[in-house]
Amino acid sequence: MGSKQHSLVISPIGDLHADGELLERVRREIREVFGYETDLLPLIDEKDLCLDPVRKQYHSTPILETLAIICPPEAVKVLAITKVDLFIPILTHVYGEAQLGGRACILSTYRFAERGSPGTEAFRCRLAKEAIHELGHTFNLRHCRDAACVMHYCRSISEVDRKSNHFCRTCAVLVEDEMRRSLQSDGVGF
Amino acid sequence: MNGAKILIVDDELIVRESLGGWLERDGHKVDKAASGEEALERFKNTRYDILLLDIKMEGMSGLEVLKKVKENDPDVSVVMITAYGSIPSAIEAMKNGAYEYLLKPFDPDELMVLIEKILRHQAETRETQFLREQYKERTRFESMIGQSRVIQEVFDLIERIAPADSTVLIKGETGTGKGLAARAIHTKSRRCQGPFVVVNCGAFPEHLLESELFGYQKGAFTDAKTTKKGRLELAHGGTLLLDEIGEISTRMQIDLLRVLEDHVFYRVGGTQPIEVDFRIIAATNKDLEKAIKQGTFREDLYYRLNVICFTVPPLRDRKEDIPLLADYFLRRFAQDTNKPMDQISREALDEMMLYDWPGNVRELANAVERGVVVGRGRRLLPKDLPIFRSEYASSPPGRTLREVEIAHLKSILEETQWNVSKSADILGIDRSTLYDKIKRYELRKRA
Repeated sequence: MGSKQHSLVISPIGDLHADGELLERVRREIREVFGYETDLLPLIDEKDLCLDPVRKQYHSTPILETLAIICPPEAVKVLAITKVDLFIPILTHVYGEAQLGGRACILSTYRFAERGSPGTEAFRCRLAKEAIHELGHTFNLRHCRDAACVMHYCRSISEVDRKSNHFCRTCAVLVEDEMRRSLQSDGVGF
Repeated sequence: MNGAKILIVDDELIVRESLGGWLERDGHKVDKAASGEEALERFKNTRYDILLLDIKMEGMSGLEVLKKVKENDPDVSVVMITAYGSIPSAIEAMKNGAYEYLLKPFDPDELMVLIEKILRHQAETRETQFLREQYKERTRFESMIGQSRVIQEVFDLIERIAPADSTVLIKGETGTGKGLAARAIHTKSRRCQGPFVVVNCGAFPEHLLESELFGYQKGAFTDAKTTKKGRLELAHGGTLLLDEIGEISTRMQIDLLRVLEDHVFYRVGGTQPIEVDFRIIAATNKDLEKAIKQGTFREDLYYRLNVICFTVPPLRDRKEDIPLLADYFLRRFAQDTNKPMDQISREALDEMMLYDWPGNVRELANAVERGVVVGRGRRLLPKDLPIFRSEYASSPPGRTLREVEIAHLKSILEETQWNVSKSADILGIDRSTLYDKIKRYELRKRA
């Protein structure tokens, strides 16, 4: 789908980089869906994340802002993955957050680990789907009503298991248009 | 389900931004306002589906915004956002029309479910409104037609009184459209999805009217092989039209009064009280005040029925509606009978305008129907309207109205060989009215 000259950066936070199997699974599936090469590049330390001492959770929006700034300029998008619990101020928690049509997104394994069995194949499969989902937002995709589409917002683990790891026809067209637009604005042929 | 148009009203930038971003990722169109004043300003130019409104804000409070927004747009769904300490205010907001409240911080899954629920509810409401409007439009067109000031006043009155649940008494000569006015009230009322049940009180002898109205229990009388629901029961949730109310017996008046007071009755032969909820509309062509003085109609029942009262004007008082009505009937009957007739000649219309139509709109409808049946070609001609050529039309001056009426009744009864139903139909009056006239004028079949 995408150009091989540009890459997507996957940035593990904290001791997540030790989970080689998970990261490899995520990289592989992202490559298959978006067509970009992926670079594994730790950009932020866990201690640099903004902890809310009352909520004992981490506010995800500032992390995205930092990622967008420090990410290498040749990277098309950057996806951070963390084990900590994320929130945005008005919500109790978020599974991840993305800059809609922007560069950065983040995914937390915290709620998935809480609800599923970490280290299993099913766990890795769920995380890979949600990684594609968050990256989809950076390609300007909104949530999709098609329960099988990876952009479908899932309220339960079983819903995540039911959805596929790829875009529905409509989302696929939209993401391709978005890729073409961004490559054209970068002066790269597609 | 498409995304919603949502306005977030919160004086905290971080809340507006984070919630806005989350909702945009969910596919909604989001606007943000930092104060109640800004929200109201935005509302002037934009229609929103959902308003996410913080209760506690600097300046205008969320509750004040809610009241003002609901005054202008009762359809918008308002979700109050509140901190734990402001729950009483949130409950107050619910009483003032807020759809729901969310406690800060809220679960994203709950927010999503709530938005989906609101959008589904709004879609269903719109669908119901659409069907209701469609139904109303059709009925209004088909039932009551007229552009004269007097009939427009009746339409306006119906529009005003329909939403209330008050009992209505409709007066008017026979054939003026009292039944149609009653149906229009029902259609425009909150009960329009419920049944519209008509009882012609003049059409039944007393004992039959009783079982017709109240129903009967199996074995209540010899012919009661099964239990039968009466019209009162069938009208539950809707409107009950008691047509020709002036015709009911004194005993039935007492029974009816009891039902009107308690909305509870018993089937004939039944012991189980049956509760009913309906709106009553009564119609009459009789002078009930006179009947009260004569002791044939109960005063207490009259006042129970006469909460709202209006008169449907006779056709002679709204002659400017004749061309419109005649044209409507012509097209309807031509279509029914598959005839190519689609015009009324100037001469035929002139004759219609000169005539006084004692049988009112019903008589006009019958006259046009006859004209369509006997006429040839595309135009309705005076010769197709035999009713205008009857005895009274050329009667010598000096004869009284009573004499003219008797002569006309006789001629129609003779013409139909004293078939009362057919004669009543031609005359545009009810059978019971015709019986009444036959009795009053002591008309006898010729030997």
